[in-house]
Amino acid sequence: MSRGDYIASSGPGRLFRGQTAVDFYGKRRIGLIVAIVVIVVTLLSLFTRGLNLGLDFEGGDAWDVPASEDFTTDDAADVLEENGVSTTGARIQRRSGETTDVVTIQIEEVSRDVALDLTNGFAERAGVDPEEISFSFTSSTWGGEITDKAVRALVIFLIIVSIFISIRFEYRMAVAALAAMVHDVIVVVGVYSVLGFEVTPATVIAFLTILGYSLYDTIVVFDRVQENEGKYAGVRMPYEDIVNISMNQVLMRSINTSISSILPVISLLLIGSGLLGAVTLREFALALLIGMISGIYSSIFVATPLLAALKANVGRKARRERLTGDNLRAAVIGSGVTGRVAAAPTDVEGDNDDDRDGDDTSVTIVEPAGKLLTHPPRPRKKKRR
Amino acid sequence: MKRRLWISLIGTIIAVVGALAFNLATDNKPILGLDLQGGLSVILAPEEGASEADLLVIRDLVRSSLERSGVAEPDVRVQGSNIVVDLPGVKDKEEALRSVSVSGIVELRPVVNLSDCSAPITDPEITDDVEPNGFRRSTPEPESDDVVPPVPALFANDAEFLPTLDGSAVCAGPAQASGEVFKRDSASVALGQFGGFSVNVELRSDGEAAWNSLAAQCFNQLPTCPSTGTDVNGASRPGQIAIVLDGVVQSAPVVNTPVFDGNVSITGSFSQEEAEQLADVLNRGAFPVQVTPQETRTVSASAGGDSLKAAIISGLIGLALVLVFLVFYYRQLALVIIGGLAIWGMTVYSAASFVSGATNYALSLAGITGIIVAIGVTVDSYVVFFERMKDEIRNGRTLRNAAPRSFNSTWRTIWSADLVSVIGAVILFSLSVGSVRGFALYLGITTICDLFVCFFFTRPAVLLLARSKFMVGKRAFGLEVAAS
Repeated sequence: MSRGDYIASSGPGRLFRGQTAVDFYGKRRIGLIVAIVVIVVTLLSLFTRGLNLGLDFEGGDAWDVPASEDFTTDDAADVLEENGVSTTGARIQRRSGETTDVVTIQIEEVSRDVALDLTNGFAERAGVDPEEISFSFTSSTWGGEITDKAVRALVIFLIIVSIFISIRFEYRMAVAALAAMVHDVIVVVGVYSVLGFEVTPATVIAFLTILGYSLYDTIVVFDRVQENEGKYAGVRMPYEDIVNISMNQVLMRSINTSISSILPVISLLLIGSGLLGAVTLREFALALLIGMISGIYSSIFVATPLLAALKANVGRKARRERLTGDNLRAAVIGSGVTGRVAAAPTDVEGDNDDDRDGDDTSVTIVEPAGKLLTHPPRPRKKKRR
Repeated sequence: MKRRLWISLIGTIIAVVGALAFNLATDNKPILGLDLQGGLSVILAPEEGASEADLLVIRDLVRSSLERSGVAEPDVRVQGSNIVVDLPGVKDKEEALRSVSVSGIVELRPVVNLSDCSAPITDPEITDDVEPNGFRRSTPEPESDDVVPPVPALFANDAEFLPTLDGSAVCAGPAQASGEVFKRDSASVALGQFGGFSVNVELRSDGEAAWNSLAAQCFNQLPTCPSTGTDVNGASRPGQIAIVLDGVVQSAPVVNTPVFDGNVSITGSFSQEEAEQLADVLNRGAFPVQVTPQETRTVSASAGGDSLKAAIISGLIGLALVLVFLVFYYRQLALVIIGGLAIWGMTVYSAASFVSGATNYALSLAGITGIIVAIGVTVDSYVVFFERMKDEIRNGRTLRNAAPRSFNSTWRTIWSADLVSVIGAVILFSLSVGSVRGFALYLGITTICDLFVCFFFTRPAVLLLARSKFMVGKRAFGLEVAAS
């Protein structure tokens, strides 16, 4: 029988075998410093540069004209002027994909007749059929309404999710999970502000996806923390240790899930928007990519250390230093099973209904855990039946 | 136990494949959004509070207006407090756009003056006449005074100088009635008795009084609706009623009779096009409240198709990459993931077809990208499960023993995390507008499908696999699986 007794010598090997012993809690300051830097940069950028709000938030008319060699942004400006539309407030960009180039023209709201004239003007100048041109108009109040409603929905969502996490887990976990989520949103908003990307309704949807993903990822990690909390209930295990053990146990899962989540998004970004030239996909995929990476990072480096810090002053004081190195590794390996960590080899597992088929099982589980014990827990009461 | 697992596994496969086959057989596809197949989309919002009934009325009016312009089965629906018009794949966008731009309600105002509201004007050429059906235009019958209803107070401040369609202007008093006096969709164009075209419209039984009140004022040339000129015989002509839409006088017919009996006929020197335009105005005049377009979007069919193709191709490539990675990592167990993702994909497709058919929510680009993101979350269910099994096996449990225990703890994790997504989807769906709503719908669908597949497919599949001899001696989790 192949057994997991020996410790792999290489880092990836240990990772693969779930034998890592990274002191995540000890590195919590890194997460804190990064988070502060990100927030400061974002706030600075928001105040100095602001966000590049798209047409849908400010109101106005926009065209996407399929551009050939002979239709340039200057041509577009000419058409605007010919129709008596000022080019000062207009935004004209050329966006290129592999197969098609698109010239995007955005102006302030004009009357519908002028808009029609402009559509035909662009079509004529670009030498395409007017049907080939995508046109959109948004009233100036509409973008605000979308945003207002989205924000209201978000606030209600956050309240309900906090209640849910508080009931399912505990309120400190709700605080930590929401903090990680806010962190992710700030990261994405910061990137958008610093790089001057345009914020469109698609971006808002990407933000919402990121919120959901960040919460999801954090909850998966917290679930393991809570499970380990129960597992060590009979042992005086400091919360930092529980956090560290849980993080190491879910590390491989986090990496696998991250790869599985990010691969499709990268594919969307590189193949969908890059090679196939679907320009609308680009901003969406970019926001998602940044947000997902941030979401994975924040569950490990923001949410969990914060949780440990919140729990540090709760309940019993730890009697000893945090576990590190091989001790931590032993704990990570030892508690990676269901059931409660037992005190001594003689004691069997908590819920041992169908666990009798391997006598060595309990020994393996108990052995590393046994090293952690400062004193044995109260003996189990005899069941009266 | 084993039997139950088989029933669950086979039942799920049969149900899902059956649902898919049914959808394919009945050609029930998810409706593609505007951004994926090109077309026109307009969101109309009422300017003031509108009741549910008002919105339904507007929806029907917009729909019939579109049908008249040649758009078959236009998708017009009430969404929250807005009217959403989606015309994917529509050919003549300009025409459709015009039909949708039914911005205003029609006001009926007496014409006070043709020249004076403090601004100078040219002599207007307003010669449309109005008479009940069947009455001769040139023989107005004077009526006794007793039919004259109470006259509204004078309107010194409410008179407005309004432009007419032919470029001149008239001074019109305050609105005394709206287009709601006309029967919905009753206006039609007919050839007049004396050549030219006439527009006939029916009065609603509850609108007749308002119309007749105004008509009587004008016919009797009361101060609220004085005479504006002389007829061919030199006698002073009855007053005119201005039909106003969006602050533009569409027509200002002279009233040739004080009492109308259910029918109004407007004659004049119309061309057919002008007559049809006026009929259109009278039809849309039945709008209970004013609506204005908030968002208009046309997407060319080629751009939409490109986006769809790009999203599908990149989604499939991304999925293939994920599967390659998982097969490399989980070896034989990846079979379960591939099977599970296939079942998940079919379930999502069936659910999307059903929901978009039932609720008219089109699958937009945001929805597709949401599904692509959901691949990651779905795969996570397997990763959490298998990583847990790996831990258990490494600590000495047999595969057969580890699988059910791992599933129990995994299930707890998965439903907690997925429930947050579902809560988010429900709240976003019920409270937001526009594209966010479509996104929330598909987020909810994919998440629920994930839970469904996890419990009814993955669980029996893995548990049965763990009991079978298939895995014995094979490498999984980097460990050789022993016989139990």
